Amino acid sequence: MAAVETGESKSAARKAGKKHRRKRKVGVRIDMTPMVDVVMLLLTFFMLTTYFSKPQTMELNLPPDEKSTVEVAESNLLTIRVAPDNSIFWCMAREPAKNIEFKDLHSLLLERNKSNPKLITLVKIDRESTYKMMVDMIDELNLANITRFSLAPMNEYDKRQIEKARAS
Amino acid sequence: MTPMVDVVMLLLTFFMMTTQFRPQEEVQITLPASHSDFKLPESDVMIVTITKEGRIFLGVDSQHLRAQLFGEQNKLRPEVEVDKEQLGNLFVQARIANPKLRAVLKGDKGAPYGPVEDVMDIMQLKKITRFNMVTELEKT
Repeated sequence: MAAVETGESKSAARKAGKKHRRKRKVGVRIDMTPMVDVVMLLLTFFMLTTYFSKPQTMELNLPPDEKSTVEVAESNLLTIRVAPDNSIFWCMAREPAKNIEFKDLHSLLLERNKSNPKLITLVKIDRESTYKMMVDMIDELNLANITRFSLAPMNEYDKRQIEKARAS
Repeated sequence: MTPMVDVVMLLLTFFMMTTQFRPQEEVQITLPASHSDFKLPESDVMIVTITKEGRIFLGVDSQHLRAQLFGEQNKLRPEVEVDKEQLGNLFVQARIANPKLRAVLKGDKGAPYGPVEDVMDIMQLKKITRFNMVTELEKT
């Protein structure tokens, strides 16, 4: 919908003077209301359906072959075990396992890594535990700049160690 | 009204350009949080979803590949439930069809670790040595 407004004759406009200058021009007036309606509708639609945060991801590398074994000095080995009830136990080499709260883990990892830069961390998570624990553990390791860690399945020996730590 | 229309148009273009439609999901997943800020690639991903109950779903982003892997009738479903036994073969098939495919693990916060471990074992067996885990950004 557009309305074209034609100016009056030149002489008439001149007589009217400055006050009515607008009338002299040829103006095209477009009724924008329907367009604005549609645009507003689209805008609300896009505003409601859009989401900005792209999901974050954590990268994890697995050793290429299951059969490949790496010999490591036992003294460099930090084992972290996660029990089914999500409590965490840690030990160096073959020391008895000790319980630790999740919030203290960060400082422990930092301290261990500082005292022994060759540290190799082994994370053993019980099958009954949750995926969240695994993500949290890997996240903590990444935060502590520990890149050399591996995930290992939990065996009977680990379970016994946890039981022993709980008993003491 | 013109200035308002200008602004509205600007906003409209902005939202139209930035919007990305969230793909439909078969199951609801609550993501765990981490401090990692690596972004998920937009294409060439193969997503292994593990639900709270430990069920495993596999999804790929191209419809063509979905038809090839799960049959024509499942082409439009974003992800299909699979068995652990099938998973290995599907990984191999998918990677033959598209060697650029990245494996992405998307587990529920409360998912048991057992299936996750199994999936990782299968990946290792099929020589998928690098994969990503989808997380939410933790704000601390």
